[in-house]
Formats: sequence, C-alpha cells, structure tokens
Amino acid sequence: MEAAFPAVCLDFVTFGRTYERQTIVGVMRVRRLFLLLLLAPIFAVLASAGASANPVQRDHVRVTLISEVESVRPGDTFWVALRQEIKPDWHTYWINPGDSGIPTAIAWTLPPGAEAGPIVWPAPIRFPLGHLVNFGYAGEAWLLTEITVPVTAAPGASFDVTAQANWLACAQICVPEEASLTINVPLATETRADPDAAVGFATARAALPRPAPWPASYAATKDGFRLALAMPKEMAAAVSDSFVFPEQLDVIENGAAQKRRATADGLVVDLQRGVLGLKQGEKLTGVVELTEGKGAGGQVHHFAFAAGPAPAGALVGTSEGDVGGGLPVALLLAFAGGLILNLMPCVFPILSMKAAGLVRLADGERRVARTHGLIFGAGVILSFAVLAGVLITLRAGGAAVGWGFQLQTPWFVLFLSYLMFALGLSLSGFLRIGGGFAGAGGALASKPGKAGAFFTGVLAVLVATPCTAPFMGAALGFALAQPALPALAVFLALGAGMAAPYVLLSLSPALLRRLPKPGPWMERFRQLLAFPMYATAAWLVWVLAQQSPVSGIALALGGFILIGFAVWLVRQMDGSRQAWRTVYAALAAVAFGGALSTLHFVEASAAPAPAGRAAAVADAEPWSAVRVEALRAEGRPVLVNFTAAWCITCLVNEKAALSTTAVKNALKSKNVAYLKGDWTRQDPAITAALAAFGRSGVPLYVLYPPGGEPIVLPQILTEGGVLEELNRI
Amino acid sequence: MNAQNLFKAGLTAGAMFLVLGLTQAGAAPAIGQPAPGFTATDSNGKTVKLSDYRGKVVVLEWTNNECPYVKKHYGSSNMQTLQKDATGQGVVWLTVISSAKGEQGYVEPAAANQLTASRSASPSAVLLDPSGKIGQEYGAKTTPHMYIVDPAGKLVYMGGIDDKPTNNPADIPNSKNYVRAALDEVMAGKPVSEPVTRAYGCTIKYQS
Repeated sequence: MEAAFPAVCLDFVTFGRTYERQTIVGVMRVRRLFLLLLLAPIFAVLASAGASANPVQRDHVRVTLISEVESVRPGDTFWVALRQEIKPDWHTYWINPGDSGIPTAIAWTLPPGAEAGPIVWPAPIRFPLGHLVNFGYAGEAWLLTEITVPVTAAPGASFDVTAQANWLACAQICVPEEASLTINVPLATETRADPDAAVGFATARAALPRPAPWPASYAATKDGFRLALAMPKEMAAAVSDSFVFPEQLDVIENGAAQKRRATADGLVVDLQRGVLGLKQGEKLTGVVELTEGKGAGGQVHHFAFAAGPAPAGALVGTSEGDVGGGLPVALLLAFAGGLILNLMPCVFPILSMKAAGLVRLADGERRVARTHGLIFGAGVILSFAVLAGVLITLRAGGAAVGWGFQLQTPWFVLFLSYLMFALGLSLSGFLRIGGGFAGAGGALASKPGKAGAFFTGVLAVLVATPCTAPFMGAALGFALAQPALPALAVFLALGAGMAAPYVLLSLSPALLRRLPKPGPWMERFRQLLAFPMYATAAWLVWVLAQQSPVSGIALALGGFILIGFAVWLVRQMDGSRQAWRTVYAALAAVAFGGALSTLHFVEASAAPAPAGRAAAVADAEPWSAVRVEALRAEGRPVLVNFTAAWCITCLVNEKAALSTTAVKNALKSKNVAYLKGDWTRQDPAITAALAAFGRSGVPLYVLYPPGGEPIVLPQILTEGGVLEELNRI
Repeated sequence: MNAQNLFKAGLTAGAMFLVLGLTQAGAAPAIGQPAPGFTATDSNGKTVKLSDYRGKVVVLEWTNNECPYVKKHYGSSNMQTLQKDATGQGVVWLTVISSAKGEQGYVEPAAANQLTASRSASPSAVLLDPSGKIGQEYGAKTTPHMYIVDPAGKLVYMGGIDDKPTNNPADIPNSKNYVRAALDEVMAGKPVSEPVTRAYGCTIKYQS
C-alpha cells in the first residue's frame, strides 16, 4: 500500500499535470484564435489595400491619409490631410524648402471627374544649418487638400482617394521617402463630418497662416526688397520678432538677417535679394511670422501676405491704403467724391436752391454773386480743413476714429436732425427769417451777404458729412494712413470737388444761361425740396434710436414739436402789435432753447447695440474678430458687412444687394457665415478692423473664402456682383 | 539737430555701412562679374588655381557622393555623360567637395579618386574644400550646385543641374539640363539665356 500510494499519488500528480498542461494548451489555442480573430480585419485591409496601406511607416516619417468626412454627397467638396509624423530631429519641407530640400509632393489618383486642389501648407519653421536655412516641419505636419466630388457620382458607390506622396526627410543628411495611401469615402446623400477627425482638422487649420489683414507692398532697395505691412502702428510696435518666409524660391537670401522696424505706417522688413530675386512687377508672396510680446508670454502669429510692388514715387515704408497710384489718384478720387456729394439728398436741396437763386440775379448783381460764389467755396474748403484737422489731431492722440466719427456722437446726430428739420421748414416756406429767401444769399444761410455765403458753405459740409460718397471711402482711408500734410490735401480736394459746381456757376454767365429760366416753378421746386430734408431728419432720428434707443426718440420728437412751436410763434410776430411781438419772441426763444436743451440730455446709452438691428437681416450675427477666426477655423466662408445706421450707402447696399432672396439663398447654399459689424456707435474693434483694410469708414464688405485671402467687395454692391463673388468661393 | 544727435546719426550710418559691407562680402557672386578666384588642392595633391584656366570655359560642380540627388545624376550616368561631352570640347570640369571632415560626403583624396574611377566620372580635377571656403565664396548651397565661368573669367551660370527637383532618375529624360544648355550657348559665343536657376539637392555639409 505504501508503495502504491505514492504511485497513485504520482499518477494523480501526473494526471493532474497532464490535465493542467492540456488546459494551458487549450487556453493558448483560444488566445491564438482570439488574436487571429482580432487581427483578421487588419490582415484583410492590408490584403485588399495591397501597396496602398494607410498609415505607412517609413524610416523617418509615418504618413496617414485622413478624411474630414465620413461620407460625402456628389457635387460637394471635402478636405483630406496627409499627416506626417516626423522622427525627432528630422524634418520635411514647406512649399519653399529654403536653401535646399524638396517640398512634399502629392500625386492624386481619384475617380473620374473628381479634382484635388493644391496643398494648403501649415506655417513653416526654420531649420538653420550653418549659414544656410531650410523651411519646413518637425514633429507633426498636416498637409491639407480639398477634393471635389463630381455631381455625376452616384451615392452608394465607393469613392477611392489615393495619394502618392513623395517627401524628403532630412536631419544632417537627407532621405527621400514615398508612400501610396488610399482611403475610401462612401458616397451618400449627405456630407457628414467624421467626428474622429474634427480635432485633428481643427488643430491643422489653426496651424495655417491666416490671411494678413493689412495691405502689403514692397519696394526695391539697393540690395533687396523692403516689405511694408500696413498694420496699425500700435500693432507694429508690439512685434518683438519677425521672419518673412517667401513662397517663391531663392527670391531672398534665406539665411540673411531681416531687419525690422515699426513705423507710423506699420511694419517694415528689409530682405536681402536672393539669386533669383523678383521679376518686374512680380508679387512677393509668403508667410510672415510675427512674435508679439517678449519672453515666455510671447505669442507667435503667422500671416499669409501677397505684396505687390509699391507704386512708383510712393514713399518707401509707407502704406498706400486701398488706392493704387498713391497721392495723385487719392486727390482725384477725393475731388470726384466731393462732386458727387452735391447730389446727396441732404446737400442737393441747399445747393440747388442757391444755384437757382443765381439765375434771378440781374447783370449788375453778377459781380456780387461771383464774390459770393468764391466765399462759399472758401467756406466749404475751410470746413473740410477744420474737419480734417480735428480728425488728424484725434487720431494722432491715439483715438480710434474714422470718417463719420461725428455721427457716433448722439447729441450731434440730434443737432443735425433739428437742423434738417429747420431747413425743411424754411424750404416749405414756414420759416421766413430776415426778409425771405429771394436773394443770392440763398434760402438757407439766412444771413445775407458775404457772411451768409460763407455759412452756406459751412452748412453744406455739415450736412454732407453723413453721406460718404463712393470713392470717398478709399480716398479718406488713404488720407488717414498718411502723414498730416497729404491727409489734409485729400480733405481739401474733397472740399474743392464739393464747392466746384456752385463756384463755377457763379463765375460763368455762360453756364448760368444754360439753367432753366426763373419762374413760379422755383417756388414749387423749393417746397418739393423740403421733403428730402424732412426725410433726412427722420433718418437721423432713426440713427439716434440706434445709439440712444428710447429716451433719444422721445427727446427728438419733443424737440421737433418745440421747434415747430417756435416757428409758429415767430410767424405770429408778423403784423402783431409791439407788446405781443415781444411776448411771441420771448416764447419762441424759450421753445427754441428747450429744443436745444434736449441735446444736453441725450446721451449715448451704454448698452451694446440693440440685437434687433443685427437681426434685422436674416442670419446675420454680430461681428467680432474672434468669431471670424473661429468660423474660418471651421473652414466656413465668412461675409462681413461693416455698416452703420447713419451710412446711407450701407443701407442701400443692404436693401438692394445683401437682403435679396437670391443672395440669401446663395449664402445658405455656400454655408457662408454672415457677420455684421455695426459701427453706428464708437467701436474701437471695428475701427481697427476697418484700418486693417486701409479704410477709415463704412461701408466695407469683406468676403473670406475658406482658406483663401479675404476679398474686399466694392463699396457699391449689386445683387449680381455679390452673387458672382459668392459663386466663386 | 544738436551735436549729440549728429554724433548718433554718424555712428548709425557708420554701423550700417559696416553691416552692408559684411553682407555684401557674404553674398553670392553675380552673373557677368569676375568669378571669385581660388587656389585649391585636388585629389592628386596638385594645386589648382582658377586663374590657370583663363581662356577656357570652366564648370564647377559641387558634389557629395552620399546625397540622393547626386546619386540620381551619377547612378543614371547623367553627370558623367555631361562631363565627357564637356571635357571633349575642351571645357575644364572641376568637381568640388565642400563637406567638412566627419560630415556626409567628406572624402580623403584616395577615396575621391576611387569614386571617380568606380563611377567612370571624367572631371578635369576633384577639388577638396573641407574648410568650405570656396563653396562659401560662390554661395554654393546644395549638391549638386553648378557654376560656369567663361574664358574671360566671368561667371555666366549658377544654379541647378536641371529643372526637375526630384531624386527620381526617371525624371532625367524629361528634364531640361540647364548646364548643357548654358554650355552650348557659351561655346557658341552666345549669352546664356537662363543664367540663374534654382539649385536643388542636399544642403552642403559645411564646417560649422
């Protein structure tokens, strides 16, 4: 027994071991099977994709082709990224690789009818090697490409995107690598973003250079180019470091120092010419890296720019705003703008009545008329000089003001509306001061004689300020980007343009003879012209309502009644006895004083612009620079409308071009985000944004195509023009 | 302007001239100007001076035998064919190696000769420039980087070997060989129509 037991025991043990071993083997088999099951899809993918695996690991770079969408609708476009994960210490290249190297190239194989756009490159970094330098990427780079799916593709079919990518990986030495990558994007009835790719693409877009929001130009220097970026001077002063990466090969000496300085007109960078340089008239394009602030808190920004050659004769290092051709063109535009001001609804009545008055003059009075014409001109030009002086002084003091700044002050708006109302009453014939309107002194500046002529000029300018005529925006934007003297010259040209028609009429009997003969029609015409004045007054009240909603309207309406009452009282003075005349005069003075006192009470309401206005146009959301950035990062096209309630051109454009059904539909179908910057009240952020485009006033319309440079639309919009621009994106 | 400001302005102007002078010295040589002269030692220990070849057309070829772009043109015999055609017409072909000691492409004289033999190359001489002095005088940046000096000693071409910046030898038949075109023009006594082009290849591994 004793012997047997151990045997049994042994047996048991043996059995047990055997059993155990079998179990282990069994577990192993299951595991292997499980592993195989797990790997099967991967093997299957590998087998089906053949050479076009995705991702592909090469010695120095691992590449992955990534789609932003999980399904796409025929006719739509979508973005794909070639992701390069680069081995530490190695780099790949930007579109301009610098002194050596080769940019990554992608050859696309797509289903018939499909198209791939160019690579959209993230902002590069520098890789210095001795005195040479390369431009490219380390770590991880996402090279984005937009793919267009033909409308004819059938939903449900497969859409294979194959990228043959060739790149050069370099550390001290260089190794060319390549891979063929394929992804399949299912065609569906709807384009749906792939949530897994969202973060990656958002990060990738954040790494793209943003279109430079300021005009860029360059001028040739002795040994290269001087690049001028017309950013606000405060911004230029905040730049602690900069580097210009040109897109063109060998256009500059890549490794040479780039001397930078901040000027009143922006940032100026001196670049040394490279072996290829620029051809006559060729644009210098590229990316500028700007570091804002110093040390750890320094922020690096990248902006894509396209700098044209600065116009001949332009001062090196000054910006040229929106006006090609520099000062002479700006002066011409300003003069033309001044001429057009004569036709504005608020100005036309004043000047046409004055002109009509000239016709009545007897020959003997012509000399006087001539003198008065010249004095009127002087009044206009001097008023513009004063306005320019105020504007230039304010801006020199650092205030963010632009053209039309007067109308951002509620009391001034109210004052203008009273003025318009009073002028309307006088045109209607209710208000007869100083013996009527018959003379050459005109209906409006009530004082007869030279002083009257002068103040008519002042008045004309005063009422003209809200009407920033076409051409004037660009010219004034130019003016305000200039030193004081050229700026003043532009304003004076504007005044000369405005004064010209009347002055010419008063000087030339030949021209006068061409005017219609005087007669009873003049009285009717005069009364008719009162209505544009009332309309202007009403419009100004509406402007005021944007700035000072409730109390503003109440005060204005009260003011109108008081003015009306004062006018009625003054009319009662005619034919009344002396005692009553005094009473009427006193009461009229009180009423008028009451009207004026409302100016004191109307104050800018501190509340932000009422939402109602922004919402007045469907789908418009309030503008902010941050919002624009965010939308652009999403890849959405953005249309920005900088406007103000007191800007007639803006309102006409909105009605005629931006609010039409066709444009609204186009905005919707292109998924355009429509933002509105309301400059009715002072808003330094909007003033800065306008300045960024070389403007100092509204309207300004900017269309940001996805990934592209912003397009500035004309100041006079047409429905067709807007649609054309929208269709282009 | 008071005296102190005047002094400052003078100082600034002086400094600017100095900086300008320095950058000018470092700038690449210009087409139509005398090519920078040099004295170098070749792979056979012989002293070679550029001025020795006055009256002849001289081609300078910067190279690095381990660079994939150099391999493209040597592996396909593109470079060797050009060398034979050129030297056959009396052109002096100087291959220059500016890689610093210890860097990629640096070779001892014997290895340089061995490379010439094994690749059936036919340069007139292989110049060893481990200090990088000649390379920097010419502003050579890549391998290959090509220069042509005319019989009067003036620089008439600088740039790439051809217009297809790839490492794929299959691109050679479809590319325009700038050096061949320029040599044809120089030999015919005509001005070079494309005197400056983009050089492509590996960065020259200069002494740092």
